[in-house]
Amino acid sequence: MRHDIRIEGYAFRLRPVNDSDASFICRLRTDGYLNRFLHASSPRIEDQLEWLGRYYDRPDDYYFVVEALATGASEGVISIYDVEAHGKRGEWGRWILRPKSLAAIESAWLIYRVAFDRIGLEEVYCRTVAANTAVVSFHDSCGITNQRLLPNHFELGGRAHDAVEHSVSRASWIELGARLSRLAQLTARRIVRV
Amino acid sequence: MQREFIETRVIAILSMILKVPVDSIATREALAQWDSLKHIEIVFAIEDELGIQFSEAELAELDSVASIVDAAMGRHAA
Repeated sequence: MRHDIRIEGYAFRLRPVNDSDASFICRLRTDGYLNRFLHASSPRIEDQLEWLGRYYDRPDDYYFVVEALATGASEGVISIYDVEAHGKRGEWGRWILRPKSLAAIESAWLIYRVAFDRIGLEEVYCRTVAANTAVVSFHDSCGITNQRLLPNHFELGGRAHDAVEHSVSRASWIELGARLSRLAQLTARRIVRV
Repeated sequence: MQREFIETRVIAILSMILKVPVDSIATREALAQWDSLKHIEIVFAIEDELGIQFSEAELAELDSVASIVDAAMGRHAA
């Protein structure tokens, strides 16, 4: 949905997606390495604009671009969606970063801050294709212990894939947030300021 | 600082953080545990251990024991 949530970290920010991001999103989603665990996407910007048009009308769906603070360059995308009707639980995903980006930790930190501090969720979860071992490992490395396997949860390329769901409650966010903040701050010190 | 010493320290740090045995030919691509978060922890641990600092451009390229050792050697030569 159209929203006005913007949040800044140490080296990156999240800002609302708009039509001018269609080309960037197409490039991310059609990159042969990045899209290994994504649903198939059209390479046509017109199709992406149509998708965004439907997204703007979809309630409780918050799509962001990850931007570098120093340059404004787009690093990737990330979202919160499927917020339950009573507004207490939602999913984050659509997390794609350009190759070699250093925004992984900080973008995850920022989306959790959006979930808990701006939207006011009590719990947020992320579902990852089990074969996407690098991202599953990232969530494990965050120290998220509340996790479960969802057999045959995703269909990609006509095949069913298991998913791993990692859930974070408001209570467990306190420690997770401190850890991600510290690591994001350390990373930011390396990022060249223009 | 000799390459062999640096390689030994890099392997030790990788093994400690990833909690798996690591050898001199280990790469990030081959080790699922070497995720984005662990990568930052690894890089900063190596910087602290060797008294060096990698650049932003180097951070993303340090994707193997060999590349880390090469970059560390370069930092020491500088």
